This record gives sequence, structure tokens and C-alpha cells, in this order.
Amino acid sequence: MADIEIEIDGNLVSAKAGEMLIAVTDREGISVPRFCYHKKLSVAANCRMCLVDVEGAPKPQPACSTPINEGMKVHTNNEKVKASQKAVMEFLLINHPLDCPICDQGGECELQDVAMDYGSDVSRFSEGKRVVVDGDIGPLIQTDMTRCIHCTRCVRFGAEIGGIMEMGGTGRGEDLKIEPFLAEGIQSELSGNMIDVCPVGALTSKPFRYELRTWQMNSVSNIARHDLTGSNIVTQTYKGRVKRIVAKDNDSVNETWISDRDRFSYEGLAHENRLLSPQIKVKGEWREVSWDEALEFAMRGLTDKVLNTGEANKLGALASNTATLEEFHLLQKLLREVGSENIDYRLNIKDLENTVTLESNIKLAGLEGVDHVLIIGSNPRLEQPMINHRLRKASLSGASIDVINVMAFDFNYQLNSENIVTPNQIAFMLAEVLKLILQASNAEIPEALSKIEASDTAKQLADRLLDADNSVIILGEHMVNNPQASSIAQLINEIAQQTNSTTLNISATANSMAGDLTEFVPGKKGLDANAMLATGLKAYILLDVYPHFDFHHPAQAIKALSKKDAFVISMNSFKDEAVAQYSDVMLPIASFYETSGSHINIEGKVQSFCASVSAPSDVKPAWKVLKVLADLLQLPGFHFANSMQVTSEISNQGHKQNVSNKKLDIKVKRSVNVIWQKSPYAVDALSRHASALQATKIGQMHSASMNKATAKKLEVAENDNYLGVPVSIRESVANNCVFVNTNKPIRGEL
Amino acid sequence: MISNQAKKQIDVWVAKYPIGRQSSAVMEALKIVQAENENRLSADIIQAVADYLDMPSIAAQEVATFYENYNHKSVGKHTIRICHNISCMLNGADDLVKYLEKKLGVKTGKVTKNGLVNVKKVECLGACVGAPMFQIGEQYYENLTKQKIDEIVDNLK
Ligand code: SF4
Ligand code: FES
Ligand code: FES
Repeated sequence: MADIEIEIDGNLVSAKAGEMLIAVTDREGISVPRFCYHKKLSVAANCRMCLVDVEGAPKPQPACSTPINEGMKVHTNNEKVKASQKAVMEFLLINHPLDCPICDQGGECELQDVAMDYGSDVSRFSEGKRVVVDGDIGPLIQTDMTRCIHCTRCVRFGAEIGGIMEMGGTGRGEDLKIEPFLAEGIQSELSGNMIDVCPVGALTSKPFRYELRTWQMNSVSNIARHDLTGSNIVTQTYKGRVKRIVAKDNDSVNETWISDRDRFSYEGLAHENRLLSPQIKVKGEWREVSWDEALEFAMRGLTDKVLNTGEANKLGALASNTATLEEFHLLQKLLREVGSENIDYRLNIKDLENTVTLESNIKLAGLEGVDHVLIIGSNPRLEQPMINHRLRKASLSGASIDVINVMAFDFNYQLNSENIVTPNQIAFMLAEVLKLILQASNAEIPEALSKIEASDTAKQLADRLLDADNSVIILGEHMVNNPQASSIAQLINEIAQQTNSTTLNISATANSMAGDLTEFVPGKKGLDANAMLATGLKAYILLDVYPHFDFHHPAQAIKALSKKDAFVISMNSFKDEAVAQYSDVMLPIASFYETSGSHINIEGKVQSFCASVSAPSDVKPAWKVLKVLADLLQLPGFHFANSMQVTSEISNQGHKQNVSNKKLDIKVKRSVNVIWQKSPYAVDALSRHASALQATKIGQMHSASMNKATAKKLEVAENDNYLGVPVSIRESVANNCVFVNTNKPIRGEL
Repeated sequence: MISNQAKKQIDVWVAKYPIGRQSSAVMEALKIVQAENENRLSADIIQAVADYLDMPSIAAQEVATFYENYNHKSVGKHTIRICHNISCMLNGADDLVKYLEKKLGVKTGKVTKNGLVNVKKVECLGACVGAPMFQIGEQYYENLTKQKIDEIVDNLK
């Protein structure tokens, strides 16, 4: 749109025709008070606080809903404006309680600020005030609805961003109330953002209730590491504790929003289950010791067991995917320096010869501009909330979305088709699609595909990919242990190339991208995670590994690590029984927000962060521990004074995910496939210890879903235990498939 | 929860709106379903209507609580909807409300013991020329006097 000029308070300002006045004043730094306007939500224009004087208009106009015109003359601060603002303020305060001293929003309340600037000192209102009785809307959000000013930001957030309208305005006039349907509670995975958008103290953080005033806290920017977005956040701290987390704007990453997981997981930091002091095991007994002693013990263990005996290749390092870039780098460097390439962070994969390798070559912001999406094996809403948010935006602006999944999930946008396919048949289905696409361009059909007859479904999927100008194919976590995992990735890659689609690989989450970049994977002579445990090494260094949650076969892993002659150094933030059972040294390490480091998000963006708080008690950042351990082992090249120096040593040339060139396997098999998916709030140790998150519906997800036929085959009924998880029989699950979503430790194989 | 017959009636309304805008029929749908549920709506019913029209339950609840022609508590066989807005008020509506309450022996909002009648104060029904007025069922009664009220109310069965 063309640039036009308007005059605001006597100054000429250029802007785009059609923009709302408030967007222009905001950009120019001219303050216009507002309550209902929010830059990422639709315009409601119901609070009237933003009234300004437009020359020629008989009455003051709301800046949030007045589009600008060439030559418009606006006054934001004359007597007429001041009088209207004062009048509006007086009306807003009629029903608003004057309870700022006991309100959690005090000090960061838009109403309080605006009332200070524009309000009157004396109230002329002597009638009774409205009182609203509050219901409980869940463990995350505290309501005090008497304070609500009916701006409907929270209502619009649900309908427009969250994708489920959860809050609504019931009743009318004096009796209008903002509430969820019959207080059934709020369930969205993005619900915490309503706290951020609420301009008053009607919606506040429940875990933070009555804790502190905002001005008592320090605000430190940080990066959330739970998923592939690396959402920008502000951690608010007090006396060395993280007390609250709010979103930080970054349009290319998380816009203005963060997921509930990013917002509320900090509670885990103060959990009593934190590992607080270094411990060594002497004659089977745990003993608390000083760091010097513990590291000395660890160093001695390594030298005696493997280094002095010339068996460096009997040392292995395993890390969880939440490690920082620097931790990954230092641990692999340490291993390679002593001569071992047994390094791996891919602990949850059954067959590491058969993995999904696929490039991600689209930016987060780019996702909302695609016109077609094919999702394979993912429930993005709960697994990657911010990526899902971009997909929702794409969908709202007209993108068609096809899904191939093993069960039906609750998407918050319209799907073009939802194909529920048995895991063993997904490769075959993709092969059908590929064949059709090759046929469409008269390309040669490879041998492996020659005999395939394409189904109607495949035809529709192929047609839409061929028709689209700008499509993306997304590969999700549910495919990582598929018996044909690598073929699935190969097929997707081929289909994408043939149709000029981009690809997005969200099959490994948290900071896995950093694991790849730092080559935290076995070298040519090294063993992968499974091989290490199967051969049985003599010494291990484990970085924040919780076997019951991280390994695909916890029992086997624990058994291997518990072998008598294995010397195990465990670095953990939280205590864990199994870790205590197999380890010889336990070193307490800093958790999220207690250490500096970097996260790499899905688009390869390296986002570094400082520690917001120092780690509690005797806990140390893992990068320091690794550095000191390397020094004790007298390894060269570990002279780092801070984690930034580590970061700069890592060459960021991006990591190429080379698609496997193995023979395609598209045979349909008949066996039952179990897909193990940690429930969304159980993905890492920190979330698992965050009590409010755990109390939500999403936090409680714990079920093995399967259809009737599969249940019969496995001889289980509703609520029976299958692998320790209660069975839930649903026809929305593909045949021969068990989809386990659990927040509990896994015993036995999955 | 919603009878097949009601569904058919709702479908007629749904058909009047563009495809995908079925939720526009929510007002009529609530009215139809209310009629077959002793003239009142419950949470379950609202939920059922929302599900039938594929819309968020809270959005249906918003509509159901915004308009006063939906009842959320039990009502009598006949509801006397008496206007108390400006024109009617100036013409003595408040007195008539009191008179009705005394005559029936129940306060506004309550149902007579025999379950026959309840009185509800409503906003302007657009019949100011005939103020004061009330509505029973689909019928308007205008230029009310105490005497006229006696006649009308005594004839309610
Ligand atoms: S609860 Fe807050 S955000 Fe929602 S309408 Fe009320 S004041 Fe606005
Ligand atoms: S901000 Fe403009 S009317 Fe509310
Ligand atoms: S005021 Fe009573 S009908 Fe208009």
C-alpha cells in the first residue's frame, strides 16, 4: 500500500494507507492509552480508552479502529481528548474494585497506570459496585473477575490465537461476565498467554499468586529449551529464584506468545527432588563429598578403568536432548580428545541404523505463508505448540492441510484430510504418492515402486502437492521408531524434491539440533547409544539422563549401566533412583535458566542466553564441570573462562541431515506397532517437576490408545494395564497400533 | 438431547445461511430446543446445540444468556413478559408489575404454585404506542389497565 502523510499533534508522519491510527502512533512513540487493542488480536474497539481528536470529525474517534486517510489531522492530547479520556476512565472505574494493594497485577497493571495518568482523584459514584463470584478455571490461571473490564482480549485470544474459544462473555449489560463454559476450565496449551494479554488483575498466574510485586524482581531475558522453537522469554527472579516467566516479543521466533510449558516449567527448579551436592559411591554407599573430591574420584575412575589401560574405546558419553550447545560440544570434545568416539544423544531410538534423516529448510515465519501442508506422524499442537501456531495461521489464510497420522488428534484448524494409517503402511502410502508424482511429470519410475497400485487417498494427497505453489511436508516424532523410518524420510525427501516442497523435520525435539551440530553422534569408529549398551562399556559419562524417560528400553539400559565393572559418572539436575543405582559418581548440574549456553531452533538459529539465576546450593553449570574434568584429565584445549568462549569455538556451518540412501523398504507388515510418546509436559526433567503443569489435563495424559481389534489381539480391555499404562480403547487409532502417551516412568520395552 | 423433529426444524434454519455458517442459526436452534424442554435451557442442552451446530459451547452460552427470551430457570406454562422501559414506565408499568405480583401471589421471576404463570420484566418490545404493555406467548396486550389485566390473566389456562 502506498505511503501517505498525516499530521499528528502538529507533526507530519508518513504511514501506509488503511493502517489503524493506533498502529501509527505506536510506531511513532506517541502514547495513546488503550485496553482492548492488542497488536496481534482483532480490533474490538469496546473500551473507548483510545479516543483521539480527528479534525473534521464531530466526536472523538477511537484510534484503534480509525483507519488513516491522506491529510488527516489528529490531536492526541488536546483538551477535548483529555476530557474524553477522563470520562471513559471514570466509567471504567465505576465497577472496578479499588483493591490494587491486594491485587497481583499491582505495579504492572495497565488500568492502574492509565488511571494514574488520566483518572480523576475523586469518585462520584456512590451506587453499589458489581461483584463477580469466581469459579476455578484450572491450575494455571487465577481469576478475580470482579476486576475484569470486559476488554475481551482473553476471549479474542482463545478464538483467534489459541484456536479454541474458551472464554466468552455471558449475560449482558451490568451482568456481563467473562468466563469459560460453565467453569469447565481452560485447557489450551497456550492458555497462559491470556494472563499476559489481560490488562488488569482479572487473570493472573496461579502458581505466582501473592508471591511478589513486579518491581521487586529482576527481569532477565532467556530462551526456553523445551521444544524446537526456542521461544524468547523473560525470567523474573527474586533472591536467586525464578519466580515467574513471561513472553518476550520476537516476531521471527515466537511473536508475542509462549506455550504453557515454557511459561510454567520453572516451578520444577525449586522442587525438593533437585540433586544438590556431589556424591560418590564407596562400597555401595552414597557419600556426599566436596566437588574437588568428587571430580578427583571421577577422574581417577576414568583413568583407572579405561585411560591407563589403553581402552579409551571402552568409554562412552550419552546426553539428553536438553543439553546446551556448549555442553554437547565440551562432552564430545572430551571424549574425542581421550580417543573415544562413542558419543550419542539419540537415546530413544530402537534401531539407529534406521533413522529419519531429513533437512528442515523453511523458517518459522515462512510456515505461515505456505499454501499447503502435509503432516506425517505428529500432533504438533501439543508437541510443538509454536510451530502449530504458525500452521494455524497458514490454515486461516487459506492453506490446505493434509495429515497422515496413526491416530486422530485434536487439531485447532480445519484439516483437508486426516488419514489414519497403520504405522506399517505409512511408507507404502508415501510410495504410492511418490509414484503418482513421478508419473505426473513422466519421470522414470524406480524399480521399487513399479508394482504399486495407487489408492484414491494417495491420488488426492499427490494432487494437492502437485497443485500447491508453496507447500511444506512435516515429519513428526511418531515416526522415529517406525520399522521403516529411514524409508519414510527418503520418500518424503523425494516427494519434496519432485514437488518443490520444503520440508520440516520435527522428529527430534528440544535442543537436538545442537546435538547434531556439535556432532554429538558416534564417529566412524564409535558406537551408537544402543551398541554401547549392548556391548557393555567400562566407563560412561551421562549428561542429564533419566533412564526411565529417555531410553527406548529403560530396563535394558539400566541393566547395562549397572554392570559391576562399569564406572558411571552421572551429571543430573534432579535425583533419580535408577541413576543412583547404576552410577558411581553423581554430579549436580544446573538446570534451565541457571546456566549460560545456547539453543538451536528448527531453523538453525543459535540463540544464546545467560544464566538468570545462579544454581542452588552446591550445583554447578555442566559446561564448567566438563571443563574442570577435562583439566583434571590434563586434556589440551579446555581453557575456557566462560561459556561464550566455548560457543565461539563451535563452527556453525549448519548441520546437513544426509538422507539415507538405503534400499527403500515399503513392504506392509502385520505386526503391532507401539508408539511411545512422552506426554507433552513430561518431555524433560524440569517439566516433570513443575507441579501446576502436571496438574493440568495435558499434564495428566497417561494412556495407551488402541482400537478394539488391536485390543483383542493383545488380549487387553479398557483400563487394563498395557506396559504399565492404562488402556484406552478408541476407534480413532489405526489398526495394529498402540499409541502410548505417558507422564510416568516406563518400565519394560516399548 | 435434541429430538429428531427439532433437528429437522433447526436444519431449515441452517439452510438459510451460507455453507459453513451454520452457527448463525444458533438463536433459532436454542428457541426450538427450549420449546421442547419445558421452556428452559440447561447447560447440557446448550452444549448439545453447540455441538449440533459445530460451534464452541461458550459461544452458544453467550447467546443463550444475552437474550432474555431464553430461560435458565423453570418457568410457568405462560410467561407474562411485561415491559418496564421508558414509555411503559412513564405510563405506570411499575405499578402494574406490583399489581401482577400481588394478584398472582408471587414475585417476578418466580412461578405460581400451580405452575401456570410467571412474570418477567423485559426491555422495550417496540410497542411504545400502546404503553404500558406486556406479551404472553406470541401475543401483545397493549394499553393495559388493572381491569384489563384481570380479564387476561383470569383467562389463562
Ligand atoms: S479477563 Fe482480562 S482480558 Fe479478559 S475481558 Fe476481562 S479484563 Fe479483558
Ligand atoms: S483500545 Fe480503542 S476502543 Fe479499546
Ligand atoms: S418502552 Fe415499553 S414497549 Fe417500548
